[in-house]
Amino acid sequence: MLTSPGEVITSAMEFMRGHGTFVEDGSVVASLSGTIERVNKLVSVRALQTRYHGEVGDLVVGRITEVQAARWKVDVNSHQDAILRLSSVNLPGGVQRRKLESDELEMRKFFEEGDLLVAEVQPMHGDGVLSLHTRSLKYGKLRNGQLISVSPVLIRRRSTHFCTLPCGVDLILGMNGYIWIAKHVAENEREGEEGFDAEAVYSNKNDDIDLETRAAISRVSNLISIFARHSVPLTDTILAKAYDWAVQQELSPKDLLRTETGDNMVEMVTALA
Amino acid sequence: MSRFEPLNAGNLRSDGRRPLELRSFSAELTTHPSADGSASVSHGLTQVTACVYGPREAKNRAQTMHDRALVNIEVEVAPWAGEVRRQRTKGDRRTAEFAASVKATFEPVIQTTLYPRSEIDIHIHVLQLDGGLLQAGINATTLALVDAGIPMLDYVSSLSAGLYHTTAMLDLTNLEESDLPSVTVAVLPRSGKVTLVSMETRLHVDRFEEMFKLAMEGGKVLRGEMDKVVRERTKVLARQMEGGAAQDEDRMETDDL
Amino acid sequence: MPRDVEPSINQRDFIFSAIQQGLRVDGRSPLQARKTTIRFGNSLGWVECSIGETRVVAQISATVTRPYFDRPFEGIIVIHTEFSPMASSAYETGRPSEEEITMARILEKTIRRSEALDREALCILAGQKVSVPHRETNTKIVRGQQVWTLRLTIQFLADEGNLLDCACMAAMAALRHFRKPEVEVVGDEATMFSPEERAPVPLALHHQPLCVSFVSLGPRNTPVMDPSRLEEQLAHGKMTISLNAQKEICVLQKAGGVALPADEVLHAVNVAVSRVRDMSDLLNRSLEEDSRTRVIEVR
Repeated sequence: MLTSPGEVITSAMEFMRGHGTFVEDGSVVASLSGTIERVNKLVSVRALQTRYHGEVGDLVVGRITEVQAARWKVDVNSHQDAILRLSSVNLPGGVQRRKLESDELEMRKFFEEGDLLVAEVQPMHGDGVLSLHTRSLKYGKLRNGQLISVSPVLIRRRSTHFCTLPCGVDLILGMNGYIWIAKHVAENEREGEEGFDAEAVYSNKNDDIDLETRAAISRVSNLISIFARHSVPLTDTILAKAYDWAVQQELSPKDLLRTETGDNMVEMVTALA
Repeated sequence: MSRFEPLNAGNLRSDGRRPLELRSFSAELTTHPSADGSASVSHGLTQVTACVYGPREAKNRAQTMHDRALVNIEVEVAPWAGEVRRQRTKGDRRTAEFAASVKATFEPVIQTTLYPRSEIDIHIHVLQLDGGLLQAGINATTLALVDAGIPMLDYVSSLSAGLYHTTAMLDLTNLEESDLPSVTVAVLPRSGKVTLVSMETRLHVDRFEEMFKLAMEGGKVLRGEMDKVVRERTKVLARQMEGGAAQDEDRMETDDL
Repeated sequence: MPRDVEPSINQRDFIFSAIQQGLRVDGRSPLQARKTTIRFGNSLGWVECSIGETRVVAQISATVTRPYFDRPFEGIIVIHTEFSPMASSAYETGRPSEEEITMARILEKTIRRSEALDREALCILAGQKVSVPHRETNTKIVRGQQVWTLRLTIQFLADEGNLLDCACMAAMAALRHFRKPEVEVVGDEATMFSPEERAPVPLALHHQPLCVSFVSLGPRNTPVMDPSRLEEQLAHGKMTISLNAQKEICVLQKAGGVALPADEVLHAVNVAVSRVRDMSDLLNRSLEEDSRTRVIEVR
């Protein structure tokens, strides 16, 4: 069911208003253009094109925009930059330890302006500013890959947003529409639990990436941008399938950028099911 | 000027329209890939594009408001837009006034309180100008805001009207605008209230009402046209997304097998 | 840009609840204006107008210049407005604010676009440029294409709300009050007489537009005429109508703000009609009074 701004959806007597609606003169009115969703008595409108609206527990990919006193500002494609506190990151020398003044002085050693990171949204304070944490070994600075940004509505909430494609590429589907595509790192090669290696975790150096992996990364990135252009929701399965198709057709990453090839691909892959 | 006949004996206007006929209206959504929302609108030969960025982190910290978002409007009129090539300077008063009117029109309509301390930037580019600058600017901005998924209380639709002797006519061209008394009205179609009225030419009070009310009615009609475009676009997006999702679920089931 | 101090929550609540009952803080009813006074200065075309505590000075000077090349038969009017911190601490010299631009534009539309002033009457010589030397003691000779350029300078002295209405009143009064030196044209040659020689002549005005502003105040958006500064700050929307005594609307501007039903707009227009009639009467009376006491002709 579609609606558009200023349209009366239902009576406010029987229903509660959710996101994308407001109440006026006893009726629930839409304030967005999109699809109407109803959960029991709660009516909300979901826009089909919008910025990221943060929710607790979401996994996001972000970029540091500013280093402030004991916290970083992170661009997460939301209506405001999110905050990452110094106390919400893992520091060298053990996972749990008190933050020292010296840590505050060398914040740029951990994250600098322009650095990319993956983090989780934690309960926020009253004024709607998102607050992030990277207090898990899965989270932290990103390297060995490439960022691509799509509309956040194309990313659906699922059990895990860390995927590994069969082609040897790791994928992080940030709920905010930022997607990280990187060289696959085997589970056991990850920077170890015990001797938490700050050097490796906060390193700015890429590992050696062979040509094959590079091609795979750019192929995946091009596929994602094609799907985004056609507003097809992104999942690892559909991407794997598209990747197989592209390899089957012997298409180089470059070939995918042609509009017809892209249209063709979407048609084939979505029809395959 | 004096040879110009706004309405001929056959009750037709200089471009062959009936008095209450609008120019061909067309609109397109998401014309700019980098903006959060964008729309291009044309009323006959007038063509305006609006891009919306945001709500996003405010660049101008001094201007941010703790309880609502700041709305910024930038207007640019292309030098080739009018009949005579003219480069408008940055501080051009007419452009600044136009921007201020658009800002004041949308500030109460956008639900700015949902985005405290953020900023919504709206850029309006006038590409072709044949009368109706204000109406095209407002309509383009409305569509761009809808496209960006920014919550609004209602559409804002705007239309100009003029008066020749006792005949009111809608949607004036540049030629008519410079010759006839005219008014531009912006309405909130659902409540039928007016948010903007702008008249700059001399007209007797008793004549005003008819023209004003016609422009309001016309605005409501235009809302239908804009809504059609929006729905079309939403439908396409929804279908694409559903298509993808359905396919995905099927796939998951097969995976389980 | 210095932001003005916002009114406190108590002030706002008080004013809003008062207006709900049809009361205003200064004891007026919603559609009642403050006392307007006009004072003329020593020189012609110097007028101070005040509405309540708001004060504006308008002054006109005239010089002879060449016309714009695309309008060779018309005189030129230049309108200068400048906000200064003198009127209110919210204003800054230099870069004009949005508010100031809007106000300057409305004044310009009211005075220039509505053709309040007969610009063709400001033309002295429309012919081609000729140079005929001429000497006489007290008079000036002008040659070639020449027109009058009027400079209308509007100075805001105090802002207690409704600056625009006050400025417009002052400007119109100044235009009515001003006299330009008489000029005689013989052939291609114009002679300008000093005030001692011939009495200066008034400007030719087509009509006399005046501005009336309303704001929408309180939870029910009650229309309020002649708002004070506090009311302007708290208002949800503003509407300005400029009209002349012949009931012709020259400018109607409601640039956004809260949405109003059509009837309310039309009602405001009707209220403005009677307000303009009163203001025009006042202006005419003041001018008459001034002309009785002022000696213009020297014989």
